[in-house]
Amino acid sequence: MKDVGNVKSADYFQINHEIRRMLAEKGVILLPSPEAYEKMEWTREHFGQKPVEGYFIWVKKQVSYPISTCIAISSPEVYQKPRNLVIVEKGVKAEVYSICNAVKPNLSGKHVGYSKIILRENSTLKIRHFHKWGRTDEVSSVLDFLLEKGATAFSFYKSLAPPEKLTVENRTVLDAYSSANFETSVLAKNGEVKLYDSIFLNGEKSSGIVKLRMVSGENSKILSHSKIVAEKAGRGHVDCMGLLLSENSSIDSIPELLNSNKNAVLTHEASIGKVSEEELNYLRSRGLTEDEAINLIVTGFLGEALTYREYPIPAESHM
Amino acid sequence: MLKVENLSVRVQGRDILKGVSLKIGKGEVHVLLGPNASGKSTFAYTLMGFPEYKVTQGKILFEGKEITHMPIEERAKLGIALAFQHPVAVKGVTLSRLLKRISKQPLDLNGFPLDKSLLDREINVGFSGGERKLSEILQIISLNPVFVILDEFDAGLDIVNLEKLTLIIQDKLLRNGVSLLLITHRGNILQFLEPDVAHVMLGGEMVCSSRNWRKTWRTILRYGYERCRECKERGLLSD
Repeated sequence: MKDVGNVKSADYFQINHEIRRMLAEKGVILLPSPEAYEKMEWTREHFGQKPVEGYFIWVKKQVSYPISTCIAISSPEVYQKPRNLVIVEKGVKAEVYSICNAVKPNLSGKHVGYSKIILRENSTLKIRHFHKWGRTDEVSSVLDFLLEKGATAFSFYKSLAPPEKLTVENRTVLDAYSSANFETSVLAKNGEVKLYDSIFLNGEKSSGIVKLRMVSGENSKILSHSKIVAEKAGRGHVDCMGLLLSENSSIDSIPELLNSNKNAVLTHEASIGKVSEEELNYLRSRGLTEDEAINLIVTGFLGEALTYREYPIPAESHM
Repeated sequence: MLKVENLSVRVQGRDILKGVSLKIGKGEVHVLLGPNASGKSTFAYTLMGFPEYKVTQGKILFEGKEITHMPIEERAKLGIALAFQHPVAVKGVTLSRLLKRISKQPLDLNGFPLDKSLLDREINVGFSGGERKLSEILQIISLNPVFVILDEFDAGLDIVNLEKLTLIIQDKLLRNGVSLLLITHRGNILQFLEPDVAHVMLGGEMVCSSRNWRKTWRTILRYGYERCRECKERGLLSD
């Protein structure tokens, strides 16, 4: 994949309920979900119910650049219900940058998103999903991944400015030789975040990894429930790490491993604690204040790979 | 530069330092010798201002200003820097990111026995003894300090790398007039760096301060640290 800059193979940009931009190069079909539902009957079983908004992206051939999507709220009390469908065809490798955000901090919007992502045989999808919301928004996002034989999914989700109530759910079904790698980084502050992951190893030699990095700041609560179910001889791992930054913050982390195949291996590791005094004092001895030291540790903990500004998203949807 | 007067320090309810005094001038190199658990590291952490090291008596003056109860980061901003004997691992933060955050001067990496991949690793996570020392010295130099404490810098370093790092210390710190306090119990670093003054600490007391460091060190090598205590009584190692 090349540098995303302004070059995209497909670009979908929606503000409130209006599509502002929708472009796709050859090899990618990009339609509003309601239109895809009407025109392509076969998509209906995947959409479930008739969508009112959202995008349909069908990556039929190898593309040179990433696909970019953005669904933003810019007016007060908007209630978005996007239903998205992404399909990557056999053997194709694709990369998606996806952002959902509120343009201002106090719009009291509601965003209830549902996405289904289907990876055909031996295809690969790398998806980077970024949320940035205002305090008064209410957000829930569900992603259903369906991985066919030999498919590979990497999903990175990051939310550094969650609303008062945020729920994110990933459900993944894996066929033989497919693999899913999910990384979620969340910073909660004055609110409640719920993270649900479930991975179903339904095919031989399938593998699934859930990696959670959670930081619970002032007056906040994070609940994570990560489940891996092995029916076939696959491998699964849950890795949860949490940092508590305040006396009135909490993290409740529940790993669940259900193994019904003696040749499957499921493991988990978890730790939740505070930033140690030793680390803080060490960084303070380098001239950083306590707050600066905590900030450095927290941003490092949540992953340095990508920040909000580095996302190839429309400038007009920045807060 | 640094003046410590009659300093007593308590750590977790135990009195560790008992009435320690010391004076370091600008550009001077002092070595603090002493066996394990004699209070040397406690002295270093107290100079840096670590909160669990409670000063119960005496004071610390830095460039004429009293810093006895000053927070760690403010001391760092004044130009005091400490290379830790056992630096803590900071998960998630790469060395390059920390250097970028704290650097007060551009870092010239020429001459450092450095595998550049070290910069992309999380600070002190899985670092070897030598890598830790290198990371410490990189951080210290980037802070552009005026007074540096090297706590057991020669422990965990092979002789070749100790010599290399000592050359860097001479080039990047001493040549710029930085004052140095070397803390060591084995004294290996003295092969490469000659101090102006040697101090000996035993049981939390400074039992000797001498400009004739070679005599002090020879006595310790020949008779062990305990001789210094007797010596104090006899006044053999005084100036």
